[in-house]
Formats: sequence, C-alpha cells, structure tokens
Amino acid sequence: MAFSTIFGAWIAAFLTLGILSYLYRDNPFYKIAEHVFVGVSAAYWAATFYWTQIYPNLFGRLFPKDGPLAFIAEIDFNHDFNILYLFPLILGVMMLLSIFKQFNWMARWGIAYTVGIAAGLKAYGYLSSNVLSQISASAVDIFSGSLPLFSMSGDSVFNNIIILVGTISALMYFYFSREQTGSYGKFTRLGIYFLMISFGASFGFAVMGRISLLIGRFNDLILFSSPDYNYGTYWMMLFIVVILGFWSFQNPEKKEG
Amino acid sequence: MFLKRYIPIGIVAFFGSLTLFGWFIDNESVEAFVNDDATQWYDIIASFAIFLGALNLLKLQFLKVVKRQSGWQYSVVAIASFFFAFTIGFFMKGAFFVGEEVYFTQGAAEQAILASGSSETVKAVEWGAHISTEGGLFKWMFDNIFTPLSATMFALLAFYVASASYRAFRARNFEATLLLLAGIIIMLGRVPVGSLITPWMVMYLLVFVGTIFMANYFKDRKIIFGSFVVGLLGVTALGIGMDWNPTEPAIFFLPSLQEWIYTVPNLAGARAIMIGIGLGIIVTSLRYIFGLEKSYIGDQ
Amino acid sequence: MRFFEDMILKLGSVDRRYIFLLIGLAVLIPLLRPIDLPIRTTPTTEKVYKAIAEIPANSKVLMSFDYGPSTKPEIHPMTLGVMRQLLREDHQIYITCLWPDGLYMALDALEEINEEFELVEYEDYVLLGFRPGNEAIVKGLASDLRKVYTVDYRQTMLEDIPMMDGINNLKDFQFIFTGSAGYPGTFEWVQYGGDPTGVPLSSGTTSIQVNEVMPYVQSGQIKGVLAGMPGAAEYEKLIGTPGIAIQGMAAQSFAHLVIVLFIVLGNLAYFITERRERKY
Repeated sequence: MAFSTIFGAWIAAFLTLGILSYLYRDNPFYKIAEHVFVGVSAAYWAATFYWTQIYPNLFGRLFPKDGPLAFIAEIDFNHDFNILYLFPLILGVMMLLSIFKQFNWMARWGIAYTVGIAAGLKAYGYLSSNVLSQISASAVDIFSGSLPLFSMSGDSVFNNIIILVGTISALMYFYFSREQTGSYGKFTRLGIYFLMISFGASFGFAVMGRISLLIGRFNDLILFSSPDYNYGTYWMMLFIVVILGFWSFQNPEKKEG
Repeated sequence: MFLKRYIPIGIVAFFGSLTLFGWFIDNESVEAFVNDDATQWYDIIASFAIFLGALNLLKLQFLKVVKRQSGWQYSVVAIASFFFAFTIGFFMKGAFFVGEEVYFTQGAAEQAILASGSSETVKAVEWGAHISTEGGLFKWMFDNIFTPLSATMFALLAFYVASASYRAFRARNFEATLLLLAGIIIMLGRVPVGSLITPWMVMYLLVFVGTIFMANYFKDRKIIFGSFVVGLLGVTALGIGMDWNPTEPAIFFLPSLQEWIYTVPNLAGARAIMIGIGLGIIVTSLRYIFGLEKSYIGDQ
Repeated sequence: MRFFEDMILKLGSVDRRYIFLLIGLAVLIPLLRPIDLPIRTTPTTEKVYKAIAEIPANSKVLMSFDYGPSTKPEIHPMTLGVMRQLLREDHQIYITCLWPDGLYMALDALEEINEEFELVEYEDYVLLGFRPGNEAIVKGLASDLRKVYTVDYRQTMLEDIPMMDGINNLKDFQFIFTGSAGYPGTFEWVQYGGDPTGVPLSSGTTSIQVNEVMPYVQSGQIKGVLAGMPGAAEYEKLIGTPGIAIQGMAAQSFAHLVIVLFIVLGNLAYFITERRERKY
C-alpha cells in the first residue's frame, strides 16, 4: 500500500479519535481537531465552489475564447460572451468587499438577489408540491367499497379515516386565531396526539440515523487498525490515551457545585 | 439610504416577482432568463458568499491571534489548516498522471518514470478537474482530513442522543407517553431485532405492565392477582390456539405495528406539518417579494 | 423491593460517560463479532425496488448524489445498490451532485462498482459533477441541462460525449433517483424535478429525513423511499447483494435495544421518585 494511503489513514484515525475524545471531556486533542476542521472545510468549500461555478460559468462567459475580453484571459467552456454576467460579478465583488466595516452594506445587494430568487422559487414549489398535492392526496378513498375494512399494511377504510381525521385535526391545531376550547378544543387535542406520534416516530428515526453514523466511523477505525495500515488506530489510540491521561492529571476536572 | 435600503428591497421585489411569475408566463425570453441565467447568477453569487464566509473566518481567527485571546494557539492551527487546504485547492494541481498512476507532484511523477525506465510522459490534469481527480492531492485531503472530521462530528451525536434518552425523556403525561411509545416501537420494529421479539412476548409484557398499572387503582390484592393470572392464561390459550405463530397477531408484532404507525397516524401528523410549513413558506416568500419582510438588510 | 428501587435510582444518577461507554460497546462488539440477523423488507423499500425493476429496457436514469461523508454510512449502500440494479438491467446512468461532497461520494461509488461491472465511462455512465445552486440547479436541469452543465467533472465538453446525445433536460430521462441527506435533496427534486416534469422519482434518505418525506410516498410523488441504514439493508437483501448496510444491522439492533433499556430505566427511576415524593 502506498505511503500516502497509510499516512492518510493514520491522520484520519488521529482526527477521528481526537473528536471522539470529547466524550471524556473538552481537551486539546478535540480542540486541535475542531480547528483543523474549521480551517480545512472553509478552504475546501471555497475551492470547490470556485472551480465548479465561478471559473466555468462566470469567467467562462466573460472571458470566452475569441471573446472581446480574450486579451485578459481565455477560458474555453464553449460559452458565448455574455455581458449580462457582469451583474453577478459586480454583486459578488461587492459581497467580498463587505468584509471591510465601511463597506458592510455592500453584501445586501447580493443577499437581496439570492433572497428574491429563492422566494420566487420556493413560493411556487411549496404551493404545488407541499400544499396542493398533499391536500389532493388527503382526499382518500373511504366510500368506494373496493378497500378492506382494516389492514395492518396497505390501504383500508379504517386507515384512510385515521389519515383524514388525523391530518385535519393536526392542521386545525395550528390555527391559533381561535381559542381552542369546547368541542373544537377536544378535536385539536386529538390533533396533538397525532403530532406526538409523529414526533415520536421522528425521534426513533433520529436515534436510528445517529447510530448509523457511529457505525460508519467505527467501521473506518476497525479498517485502519488492520496490519495493512500498520495498526494505525491502535497507535493513535495509545498516543492520545497516554497524553490525555497525563494532561488530565495536570488539569483535574472542576467538580460542579 | 437609497443604496443601503431601497435598492436591495427593489432587487428582491423585481427578481422575486420575475421568478415567481416566470412559472406562469409563456414567453421564451422570460422563461430562458428565469430558468437559466437567473439561476446561474444565483449560483455565482452563492459561490462568492462562500468566499466571504472563508474571509470572515480568517479575519476572526487572525484577530484572536493578534489580540492573544484565550485559545489563540488553536486559531493558529485553524489558519494553518486553511492555508494548507487553500494552497492545495488553488495553487497545486496535485494530480500528475504517468499512464494510470497518479502522483501528487510533477517531480514525483518524473522520478517514477526515471525509476521504471518507461517512455511515458507526465500528464497534468486540467485546472478544475484537479479537485475531483481520484488519487490526486485534493481528493487525498478530502478522504483523510475532511471526511473523518465531518463524519465524526455527526457521529458524536449518537452518544448524546443515548444520554438524553436516559436522563431527559420522561413519560410525564399522556402526550409524552405517546411520543415515547411511538419512538420505542419504531426503534425496535425497524431493525432486525424487532422480528425476533414475537407478539407473544409483547402480550405477556403488556399483561405484566397492565397489572402494575392496575395496582395504582385497586388496593385489593386478590383482584390484582386474579387479573394477572387471567391475563397470562388468556395469552397462553390464544398462543396455543394460534400455534404460537411468530408474526401473528400482527398488531403485537413490532415490525407490523411500526409499519402501521409509520404509514397511518405518523403520516397524518407529518402531512399536517408539511402543509403547515408549506403555507408558512408561501406567505413568507410573498412577504419578502412585497417588501414587508426586511430581515435580510438587518431590519426587524 | 426497596433495594431494587434504590438500585434503579442510583443508576439514574450515573455519570453520563458510562452511558457513552455502553453505547460505544453496544455498537463496537457486533462489528467485531458479526452476527447474522434476519432482514425483513418493508413496503416502502419494496416500492423502490419495484419502480426500478419496471423501468423500460435500456433507459437513461439520472442519479443525484446529494450527501456527504457525514451521512455516507446510511446513503452510500443505497446508491451502490441502485447502481447495481440499474447496471444489471443495462440502463445508462447519468450522475449529478447537488452537494459538493456528492462528487466524491459518486467517485467512491463508481470505483467500488467498477470492481464488479468493469464500467466504461461515457458508455455506461457520465459523471456530470457538482454545481452549486440547490433548487435552482434542479430547476435548471428541468429546463435546459446544457446551460447548467457545459462540461462534465473531467472538464470534457458534453457535445464531445456521445452518451449525452439527445439529453437536453430532465424529461429525457426515464427515471430519477436521489440519495439525499438533507437540503438540497428529495424535497427539491420533488418540487422542481419530479412534479413539474412527471418523470418517475425515487429516493433514499437519512433516517432523520425520512419522516418528512413520507407524505410524498403516500401521495405517489415519489415511488417509495429507502429509510436510512435499515432501508439500505432491506434493499441489499432485495437485490441479493449483501453489503455494509446488512453488516451494520446487528450493531444497529443492539444499540437500539440498549437505548430502549435506558429509556425504560430512566422512566422507572422517574416513577419511583414521583411515588416516593407523593408519599411524603
């Protein structure tokens, strides 16, 4: 196996164990790993966005091959010169200038543009897919007679009634302009019960998701502990445990209260 | 005031309306602009925003070092890491091909040619492609530095979820009990271990729990004990009658029960939340377009 | 009885680091000592499998890798499984990424699949790569793909790729599958991709997101959903190729059991405390 692969695995194991060391208590290894993450991810994102968007789609349209600005640079992505793309360039540069306090306000133009586009996109998208389609799907089959009365899986009259009643009662709970008392209050209480079941299911799924991510990390640590990687996980664990033990001894934990 | 306030509001109103009505206008040039160029500009400006974020980060970390604030040594680590990754991303191609083999530097590639004595030439990847080349330096950084850090940060939450479950999730009232029960049934029913728990085990457990619950309301031990025995006998008789079927009755078989909860009552709640959020987003989007909502320029 | 109650109360105030240790062991031990557990498929997973099986022969399928390394354990097995099923039926795969990390996830997936299928780039698949812009990208793809992508991830012009002939927007695909970890992902593909174009869409999501996506499944806007790692394990069983998802199910199961026990113990301690406080 190449040296860069083994070296990379040792670094990965060190950083993973450094983050996990936070479970013991906040410590220098965790802080180092955290700050490396902060630094590397900022540059990683900047590089990715530049080379996948700004370079081909902005500069590719402002400095195309044989374009009027080809004397400055030639970036050939088969685009034609489009002077309108000066607009996002200007807004983008204004955004960068806003890092200086006196030019703080300059970012507002770029933010305003993104807010406007996002608002226009989302208003229609959510109306069509999340409201109208969902209301249409709530018009369930109850009276046609083609469905069984009850089924644990699949459509049934009972299940469809539960879905209809549950959706309406839960939606009515979110209507706070009317006081939720009397029969109306009882109906919205039913809506709360459906919402609680939904939140409980979300909690169960959230736990499931987190455990899955932990399984992924442990799988990598187990892989890096193999002879192919020169037992990287074990060496890094030993290193961290010894240093951390010594550090804990020098910096005892402050008892609360 | 004009530049700092009215122009941004005007930009939101104009481009927001154009994008929204672009869904309904059947005009080629408007559609082409809204669907293609407007969205491209959105992407480009979003990319510049990422750069702004990176610059802000550097500014804050530098200030921390210069002012020798608490933990400034770690800020040095952050700045060094940033410049390390920035150099790899912008100033080093990091991927030089000799045949199928990839080397991080031109020098290493040339040395490999000399060592093997082949007639191959060194082929550098194009700028832009260097960030996605398998075996290249940028991908190495992604695999061995970014990925472990990113993944482990998320994985930490597994431990805190477990700790929170133990210390904070209490069945204080009926609603909380519903929430917990739904969560437990989903957690057990969705994984293979749920299939190993037969409906009969669940029914015996319910008899046991029911008896404890009854003990709060009935003081007569004969009634409690009698109910317990009747419950046990009832479940046993049913079990014998159904040949101890491992998946029936389905209502007590955790995978079937969780599927029903997931696709019926949970769906109702999730749908109500989806419709509610959808309506909220539509209203908020329209408020931005009409200039009623100005939080993006710092107004309340 | 009081002895047991006191023991439960003591457990209720244990240092949380012991809980961390127990969870760590509950996950680690089954990974080191694998146990085979029966995998039971659910209707939502079967819908995805069936939808892909019903794609007309020699179709063009768009796959979107909308996840990163932090959610790779959940979604990567799904995308691998879907790619396997598609390639077995000789469909052509076109890959986009709405997340920057998605590009690397796609590269990893292709490297792994290549060991089985000996893929030929530009004949079996095209990796278009990542473009920033979230839902704007999906909208752009639905309208004019060639304005969003002029080159693929290798900077090769799309015009120079024969496999891209006739591909101008989403309607030129017969199926869309998205492996989604959040925003942008399934929601955006439904709202700006599947619904406006009518192209059948399926999705694999993280466990955390699956509850939000469930209404789309019932309404038919997406054809089934793969729910987290258990969903990926079910899918691996359906395609007959066990992978890392099935391997992780024992660890998942034991961790869930431990957490349920924690919840039960915690609530027992709560009820005991409540009852004693009521007495006094």
